[in-house]
Amino acid sequence: MNLNRRDFLIGTTALAAGSSVSVPFFLPKYRLDRREKRSRVAILNVRHYSQDIDQTVAAGLRLFPIHVQDKTVVLKPNLVDYIDGNAINTHPLLVLAAAEAFRSLGAKRVLVAEGPGHQRDTQLILSQSGYETLLRNHAIRFVDLNRDELIRTRLGASYMGVKSLWLPRTVLEADFLVSMPKTKTHHWAGVTLSMKNMLGIVPGSRYGWPKNILHWKGIQESILDLSATVPVNFVIADGITAMEGNGPLNGTVRPLGKIVLADDPVAADATCARLMGFEPDRIVHIREGARFLGNSSPTLIDHVGEIPTHPTIPFQTVPEFRHLYSP
Amino acid sequence: MTEKRSTLILRAVKTGSLGLNKLLIELSRRQLPSGGWAELISSSQTSLEPTCLAALALRSHDFHAQERAHDFLLRVQNPNGSWPAFAGDDQDGAWVSALGVIVLRDVATAIPARLSGIYWLMGCEGKESNWLWKWKFRTADRHVRFDPDKSGWPWIPDTVSWVVPTAFAILALSPLRCSCGSLNEIGVRVDCGIDMLIDRACPRGGWNAGNGVVYGAALAPHPDDTAIALLALCNRTKHPVIETSLEWLEHRASTLSAPWSLSWAILALAAYGRGVAPLISSLMALPVLSTNNDTSTLAIACLAAECDHALVALGVSL
Repeated sequence: MNLNRRDFLIGTTALAAGSSVSVPFFLPKYRLDRREKRSRVAILNVRHYSQDIDQTVAAGLRLFPIHVQDKTVVLKPNLVDYIDGNAINTHPLLVLAAAEAFRSLGAKRVLVAEGPGHQRDTQLILSQSGYETLLRNHAIRFVDLNRDELIRTRLGASYMGVKSLWLPRTVLEADFLVSMPKTKTHHWAGVTLSMKNMLGIVPGSRYGWPKNILHWKGIQESILDLSATVPVNFVIADGITAMEGNGPLNGTVRPLGKIVLADDPVAADATCARLMGFEPDRIVHIREGARFLGNSSPTLIDHVGEIPTHPTIPFQTVPEFRHLYSP
Repeated sequence: MTEKRSTLILRAVKTGSLGLNKLLIELSRRQLPSGGWAELISSSQTSLEPTCLAALALRSHDFHAQERAHDFLLRVQNPNGSWPAFAGDDQDGAWVSALGVIVLRDVATAIPARLSGIYWLMGCEGKESNWLWKWKFRTADRHVRFDPDKSGWPWIPDTVSWVVPTAFAILALSPLRCSCGSLNEIGVRVDCGIDMLIDRACPRGGWNAGNGVVYGAALAPHPDDTAIALLALCNRTKHPVIETSLEWLEHRASTLSAPWSLSWAILALAAYGRGVAPLISSLMALPVLSTNNDTSTLAIACLAAECDHALVALGVSL
C-alpha cells in the first residue's frame, strides 16, 4: 500500500480529531482515588430522640479509631428549611450529642456549620428547628456557610464540567469534617444522605437560594465533584426519624430507628440506601462514588454494629426513582 | 470615630431612638477600610449585599461612611457593568447588581456607573426565557409548576429566575420606565418580572425562593421572600395574590423573632399602610440585636426602624 504525504496528513488529522472527541469519555473524571481498602460502618438502634442519645453516640464513636485531639471538628448537619411536623432537618439533639462526644475525644474546637439551601433567613431556621437555644446553652458556635468567607477552590473531579467553585473557609480549613445528613428520599437525586448533604456548603451569597447552578450542572455530578473536593472524614446519619416520598421537604415522616456511623461517606450512603430498601448501585452518585471516593460493596465494609437489612416495606419514592428498589 | 458617634448620639436625642442609634453606631463601626462591609462580623471579605444595605441604612446618619461605601461600589464594579457578590469574585456579575443600582440612585457622580449597571440588568434574564429551555419546561420537565413565558432575573447569569433577584431588579429599574433611547425596553422587562412574581406565588399566598408547587405539593412561603416580593409589587399590580400574601405576612410577622425576617416584614407591611409600630417595638426589643453576627441583618433592622425613609431609599413605589 502506498501512503503519500497527503493521505498521511489526512489520516493523522482524522485520528487526532477522533481521539480528542472520544478520549474524554474514557478518562476518569476524578483526580485522586481516595478509597481505603476497607470501610467501617456502625448501625445503632435508637428509637427516639432523647437526652441519653449522647451516650449512644459516644459509645458508637468508640467503635472507630478517631483522632481529633487538638483539632477543629466541623459538624455539617442537614438544615434546609423548617416545616412544622416534617422530618426535614438533622435533629439538634443528635448534633449536640456529636459535639459533646468530639469534645470529650479532645477536639480543640467543635463548630456546627451549614448553609441552608431554601431559606435565606438562617437565624429563623435555627430558632424554629430548636438549634438556636441548644447551641447557645452549650456554647457551640454556628457558622452560616451561606455567608462565610469564600475561597476559590479547584474541584477534585470534573463531572459538572466546572473547574472551580467559591467555597467557605470554615469547611476548607476544618481538620475533621463530619457530614450529618437526615436520611431522606430526594425527588431530584433519589436519596439525600452524607454525600448529597455536602451541597449545603455551596454558599448562597455567591450562588443564590436555592443553589441553582448545581441543578443546572446536574445534581449527581455536583454531589460527586463536591465530595471529591471536600473530603468527609466521618458520617453520623440521622435515621431515627427519616423521610420518604417527595423529599427533601414535602415527604412523609418514616420512623427508621437508626443512626449510621461511618468512616467513609460512600459506605455510609450505601448502608443507608440498603436500610431504605434501595439498591445502592442504582443511585448514580453512590455507584460512581464507589469508583474513587469510598466503598459501597458489602464485601468491603466492616459492620461493627448491626448488619443492614432491607425493610419489609421499602421507602416510597417519586415515580422517577422506582428503579432504585432492590430486587 | 468619637466625632461620628457623638453625631449619631445627637440624632438619637433628637429622634428619641437610642436603640436605633446603638445599631447605627455598630453598623458604622463594622465598616471595613475598603469602604464596604463583610457578611459576618468575623470576616474581612467585603460583600455587596451587606455593603448596599448598610449604605442605605446610614444614608441620612453617617455621610462619611456612605460616601466611602459609594466609592467602594464604584471601585469594584465589573467591566460589564454588573457588580460581584463580593470583592475579588469572578467578573460575570451577580443579583446584587440591582442593589448597586438602587444605592447609587441619587449619586450624581455615579450616573455612568449606574447606567452601565442598568444595561447589564437589562441584558440579564432567567434561562427559561430561552426558547429551548422554555420548550423543555413545557414538555419534559414539569415537576415545578411555573410558566416559563414569565421570566425575571436569576441570582447569577445562566440560571433560571428566582423571586428575590427579580424583586430587587424591579425595584432598581422601575423608576426608570421611559420611552427614551435604548431604555425603552425597561417597561416590558419590569412588567414581565411582575408577571413572573405573581406566577411564582405559593398557592395560599406569599412567596418562597420561587418554587410554589413541586411534584404537586404546595410549598410554604417564607416571610423575607414574601416581604421583598411585596415591596417590588407595591402599587404596580392589584392582583388578588397581593392581599392574600399581605394577610399571611401580617399574621406571620406577629410571631417572628428572627430579626432578618421581621425587619423585611415591617418594611413590606409599612409599604402597604399596615400598622407596624408594635412590630418595630418587638424588633428593637430583641436581645443582642446590635451584636448580631450578620451585618446584613443589622442593616435591615436599622432600615426597618426607620421604615418611611427606608422605603424611599429602596425605590418602593408609594
